[in-house]
Amino acid sequence: MTSRREFLKVTGTAGTGLVLGMHLEAKPRPGEATKVAFRPNAFLAIRPDGTAQITVPKVEMGQGVRTALPLALAEELDLDWSRVEVVNANPGPDFKGMQTGGSTSVSGTWDSLRKAGAAAREMLKAAAAAQWNVAADQCRTEKGFVLGPGGKKLGYGALVEAAARLPVPKDVPLKKPADYRLLGKRTPRFDGPAIVTGKTIFGLDVRRPGQRFAAVLRCPVPGGKPRTWDEARAKAVRGVKAVVQVPTGIAVIAESTWAAFKGREALAATATWDEGAARDFSSAGLEVKMRAALTGPADDARREGDAAKALAAAAKVLEAEYSFPYQAHATVEPMNTTALVGADGAEMWVGSQSANRAQERAAAAIGFKPEQMKVNVPLIGGGFGRRLGTDFSTEAAQVAKAAGGGPVQVVWDREDDFRHDLFHPATLHRLRAGFDGSGALTAWTHRIAGPAVLRSWTGGQKAPSQASVESNGAYDIPYAIPSIAVDFAEVEAPTPLGWWRGIEIVPNVFARECFLDEVAHALGKDPLRFRLDLLGDRGTVKFGRETADIRRLKKVLEVAAAKAGWGRKLPAGHGLGLACHAYDGRTYAAEVAEVSVVKGRLRIHKVTCAVDCGLVVNPVGLEAQVEGGIAFGLSALFSQITWEKGRTVQTGFHDFPVLRLADMPAIETHVVSSAESPSGMGEPPVPLAIPAVLNAVFAATGKRIRKVPLDGGLI
Amino acid sequence: MPSYQLTVNGRIRTVDADADTPLLWVLRDTLGLTGTKFGCGQGVCGSCTVHLDGQAVKSCQTSVKEAAGHAVMTVEGLSKDGSHPVQKAWIAEDVAQCGYCQPGMIMTAAALLKRKAHPTDADIDDAFADHVCRCGTYPRIRKAVKRAAGGVK
Repeated sequence: MTSRREFLKVTGTAGTGLVLGMHLEAKPRPGEATKVAFRPNAFLAIRPDGTAQITVPKVEMGQGVRTALPLALAEELDLDWSRVEVVNANPGPDFKGMQTGGSTSVSGTWDSLRKAGAAAREMLKAAAAAQWNVAADQCRTEKGFVLGPGGKKLGYGALVEAAARLPVPKDVPLKKPADYRLLGKRTPRFDGPAIVTGKTIFGLDVRRPGQRFAAVLRCPVPGGKPRTWDEARAKAVRGVKAVVQVPTGIAVIAESTWAAFKGREALAATATWDEGAARDFSSAGLEVKMRAALTGPADDARREGDAAKALAAAAKVLEAEYSFPYQAHATVEPMNTTALVGADGAEMWVGSQSANRAQERAAAAIGFKPEQMKVNVPLIGGGFGRRLGTDFSTEAAQVAKAAGGGPVQVVWDREDDFRHDLFHPATLHRLRAGFDGSGALTAWTHRIAGPAVLRSWTGGQKAPSQASVESNGAYDIPYAIPSIAVDFAEVEAPTPLGWWRGIEIVPNVFARECFLDEVAHALGKDPLRFRLDLLGDRGTVKFGRETADIRRLKKVLEVAAAKAGWGRKLPAGHGLGLACHAYDGRTYAAEVAEVSVVKGRLRIHKVTCAVDCGLVVNPVGLEAQVEGGIAFGLSALFSQITWEKGRTVQTGFHDFPVLRLADMPAIETHVVSSAESPSGMGEPPVPLAIPAVLNAVFAATGKRIRKVPLDGGLI
Repeated sequence: MPSYQLTVNGRIRTVDADADTPLLWVLRDTLGLTGTKFGCGQGVCGSCTVHLDGQAVKSCQTSVKEAAGHAVMTVEGLSKDGSHPVQKAWIAEDVAQCGYCQPGMIMTAAALLKRKAHPTDADIDDAFADHVCRCGTYPRIRKAVKRAAGGVK
């Protein structure tokens, strides 16, 4: 007999730290004590009425995990999808790996969820078989029922009590894809009905009894501290209840959000600042340092053959510099957290992509152990990596502690969000390609200079993997070139950094795929044919810490090109451009953009995307990720964060243009079917959008653009 | 504190608030109607869109004083059960991703279709010019508006 502990251990996923079931017995949740009869693991509860509750071990921020992950469990358990209720996990012993990022939610939990569903299925079958006095293998399951010989039929609800007394089986065989009823079908988003009626609760919508609202006055220069201020001015604003100091600034606590904002505005007029070490930082100054770093020392990310020697011996060398700016996440829901701090424990409601970290850090900041801090994760109004940060949740815990009393919701406004983002940093890129006398590409070098995002994740330390992380998308250039040298030269900047949808792959693949296009044109070759030839007849190739199947990459490239009509005659002023990438060697994607440039104005008509992400859990969700990923990537073609006197120049959507409906191209998604395990789809479409579009601009105009952002869409 | 009377989703509500308080915060913090979202407070993201006498307005740029005496409709008042044609079209096209900006989008779509039963692409572009969806649901918004076209009375 297998204990629950063993079952839960074997279904844990070591790679992502998802460890389940330290609590051996099914512990009822508040309000469920009498309703739940069968809770064989941390993911699942089936009630006597046959409804099932599935707990999602990752957080929903629009990428569809509250639909995709429950589907995996429901498939193995043959649940009636219309009778499934989805709830969010709380970080703690049952859910230690809630971190949601890197396009890993499906791949990282897929096996655990399916195994959990399959084991529950066998227990329900065994319970029915015992009742009917038949063998379990004479029973099967279908849409919430166990079916037995002679037309016997029992709903799961009727079996929960008996099933709960059975041992949890080990190594239950999983379904074959051919038998899937839910996976691979078009399943609408679980939260759709609640979203369209305004019933969904995002972080900012949390309302607790006695709740107050707070806004924090922070130094506009990150890292700066308040020197003097007059709190009486804030307290004179109607509705303001208290003014407290916290490490990030001065918090104004009020009866309403508006009163908190007004109180803070009054306070701001009185504040003087010690702007700190970053006060002279500027984008122009950083650019000088980055340019110098293009020729100085650097850390190797990939070195194959002797690129320096090959370049020296080359008959011809092509060289170009590419530039990508700072970017903001600009989630539409600004940062916020509601926190309640008592004498012995605390509670937070926070839309965190990193709920375990948020719990640990907020607890530590107010002198509690993590288990004294309950964390609830409401829906998230856009993450894109911003909410992997714990700055805003820790700050809210500190505000609530300093304020004393009941719950406090700390609300950031749009300017806070832009001034105190955890930014994606700027980079400069210098690429060189060498050719021999016959025109064959013999050398490829790619130097990246800029701040290191990884340090934001390692407490400021330089990790051994820094060069490969910062050159992701560059070091794993998939083309067969005899000599390749990719390196990263770190340039320090006093700006808060963080992961951003598409991470370093966005600038690196932009530079790589555009420069490759330059090389193809310099050789007079078709960019598609040139890429296919360079990919060659290879199978699985290893680049440093990852491997990629070149055949899968070639296939998506061929499909995207064919579907986009590569090589067809285009209207005057139009051009097609393409880009492809094997994302961490897991998801293969290619995009073809069709653009026109009329009187200098760029119009992006269509992006055709082909992807191979292994088995598709939910095609409608996959298409949404492609559409959203391309929109996010294209937005970055027009936006930037710049710095003057240590602060961001941009403070809102008015000066940080985010793609709008009128500018959104048509998107066509083609899935290249594959029997591989599912991989991620959140990030892979993002990095291809810019190079596909800029390569199309070259095809349309002959003008090569090497600097992002474009100025107002003008070429 | 001054007192204002407004009709919200068909109910007469009296609220005490400073005259310059944006309608957004009256809805969210005073009346507990959190379906209307705060995105920018600068009138450029559209998340806070509600109807004022049937017209789509940004509730972060409309003061409670301006709204007083008028009929305000929020996403919660569009239908009791999600049966408004725009809501149904939104579900049919599976528009939402994170969903945060969607109530504002839906209110703009409902006002547009009431004004013009069969909008052109250019009409749709114009109507949503002040809306931001960072998840990139735009292609589906366009499809959903077209699906709901003709159905809004």
